[in-house]
Amino acid sequence: MLTNRSKSFWLLLTPAFIALLIVLFIPLMTGTYYSLTDWNGNTVGEFIGFDNYIRAFQDQGFIDSLVFTAKFSVVSVVLINVIALILATLVTQKLGRWTTVFRTVFFMPNLIGGIILGFIWQFIFNKAFESIGDLTSIQFFKGWLDTPETGFWGLVILFVWQMSGYMMLIYISFLNNIPEEILEAANMDGASPMQTFIRIKLPMLMPAFTVTLFLTLSNAFKIYDQNLALTQGGPYNSTQMAAMNIYNEAFSMRNMGFAQSKAIIFLIIIVVISIIQISITRKKEISA
Amino acid sequence: MMKRKFLLSTVVLTSALGLVGCGSSETDASGEEIVTLEVFNIKTETAEQMDNLVAAFEETHENIDINMTTVGGGTDATAALQSKFSSGDEPDIFMLGGLADAQTWEHKLADLGDTELAKNAIEGTLEGATLNDTVLGVPMNIEGYGWLVNTEIFEKAGIEPASIQSFADFENAVKVIDSKKAELGLDGVFAFSGGETWVSSQFSSNFVAPEFNSSLNETYEAKAFELTYADQMKQYADLANEYNSGPLESMDYSTSVEELFAGEKVAIVHQGNWIIPTLNSLDESFAKEKLSIIPMFVENETEGKIVAGPAWYWGVNKDKEQEVIDASIEFLTWMYTDEEAMDSIINDFGFIPAYTNFSSDAITDPLSNEIYTYLSEGNTVPWVHNSYPDGYGQNAFGVQLQAYAAGEISWDEFVTTLKTTWNEERK
Repeated sequence: MLTNRSKSFWLLLTPAFIALLIVLFIPLMTGTYYSLTDWNGNTVGEFIGFDNYIRAFQDQGFIDSLVFTAKFSVVSVVLINVIALILATLVTQKLGRWTTVFRTVFFMPNLIGGIILGFIWQFIFNKAFESIGDLTSIQFFKGWLDTPETGFWGLVILFVWQMSGYMMLIYISFLNNIPEEILEAANMDGASPMQTFIRIKLPMLMPAFTVTLFLTLSNAFKIYDQNLALTQGGPYNSTQMAAMNIYNEAFSMRNMGFAQSKAIIFLIIIVVISIIQISITRKKEISA
Repeated sequence: MMKRKFLLSTVVLTSALGLVGCGSSETDASGEEIVTLEVFNIKTETAEQMDNLVAAFEETHENIDINMTTVGGGTDATAALQSKFSSGDEPDIFMLGGLADAQTWEHKLADLGDTELAKNAIEGTLEGATLNDTVLGVPMNIEGYGWLVNTEIFEKAGIEPASIQSFADFENAVKVIDSKKAELGLDGVFAFSGGETWVSSQFSSNFVAPEFNSSLNETYEAKAFELTYADQMKQYADLANEYNSGPLESMDYSTSVEELFAGEKVAIVHQGNWIIPTLNSLDESFAKEKLSIIPMFVENETEGKIVAGPAWYWGVNKDKEQEVIDASIEFLTWMYTDEEAMDSIINDFGFIPAYTNFSSDAITDPLSNEIYTYLSEGNTVPWVHNSYPDGYGQNAFGVQLQAYAAGEISWDEFVTTLKTTWNEERK
């Protein structure tokens, strides 16, 4: 029996703990320290307390990027999960050997890296949409990524396209785990497919929502590479996400300490949101 | 037993990690010590030429081995350089983009004031890397930029580019070309890629330089910024915005240069001589026959100036062993004094040299020659945007110009934001 006191317990824990310590806890500690100084990347000038944090809350660019990130996250989390659930329901129907083909195709975008995806979609929005617009003279296809709105939707489309397949896989595995007899029983009782889906499948999927919501929410918040490749935050920083704002502050403006304080604020926001989300969905799981 | 095995593997692993760290000192067949130089290069356009040049150097200098790392320009390069230093993997030779970079790395940079290169450098070109009278970097080359024009289109529209001697002439030329857009097959007159904030940052230099007496140092020291030449800047920005072939605020580099300018769909771009290799790769004759530069009229209504000067400097890491520092200086000196290397610098790299030991007749490329002429006649202002507060050019000028072009803010708001941001950064 392994108890908390046994030596092998600690011994087996050590490698993972050391790894976490080196790449997570120590950087977090030094980062927190740097956020209280005017560090420029090479030298620490002086200890300035919470000045950086106060400045961060007064920085309109940072606030705007946080708001934009929040908006983006809400819209894309909803869309990704709705689309992923629809796809999962579709590909778990009896389609014969096509099931695997569809699953593979829907999952594929997830295998492409964010930067490449960004460039692919930049090409689609700028060149393909433009050509369609020229041919059909439908105004809708013109000037994508030129305005804050199209930039926003461009990012959402890209991210939804990338993540839906992945979330679909998670939903599929949970859908397949729903015991056959329950569905059969529902069928015997005369439940329509729609009723079965809402009354039986959805509640049984609650544990899946905990996972997918967590993954999509945290990924949406931390997005950087897709943002960089697709819009670079333009036009006029209107599509700049929080991660990009922090990166630019650090490496372009070279205010490393200030950027670090923004990063800490951002971290706290993500942690709080994740905890709230997990505790809410966990409660639902139990009641279901 | 289990425990001992675990301990053993830990020891083996740690010692293996320790071994990776060593092993940089080698000796060649003759027993002479080989010095390995780590060079951090950010000029991606000439990466291939650089590799050839390094190969030639290694052939004649058997005891020096060069390891070239090339990382793309802009923020990525700064970040990559920063992480190299932070991780302890410091390069021996690296590049500085001006006074701000020199200041950032001052604690690492060797004094190059006594080198042959510093003595050969064209007067004034060392200013961008000299702090407290110490020369911390030597220029890589001279680059010039401004309104690059397709002279063929100008001539077809009946305008002689050389006849443009004031802003009014320029404005008039733009309007004439615009009126003949259809018959000339143009999409627009300009292809100003405002989506690339570095282009707007460069654009701003011409209007900021006169305020600070065209001095890099004065710009770098300036606590207060007035944007004295805001009106002139507005004239040019409005003109470019009105006659741009697409939304100025989101146009990217490749659309602007590779598609529209090289494809002869526009007559004017705001770029510099670094686009010559790109143009050559798309159309051999373009740079030779149709490319020219038009100055901007800012300080003086009839005296046009372009922006030209060293954009990049070579710096040498002083925290290395003396022999590595010596070898670094030897390599840099060789690059700009050896006959073969000098030939390559001009003809393969297409550089405008920043050193007096090159003869100006050697510059065969017409645009490079034109820029060199502007420079020697004193009709240039330096790259002052490299002396702005860190990131200011791109994140303030670049972004605000996008907002202005999109009609999001008024010109007054544009000017106010720029002033306050500057004063805040330099507080």
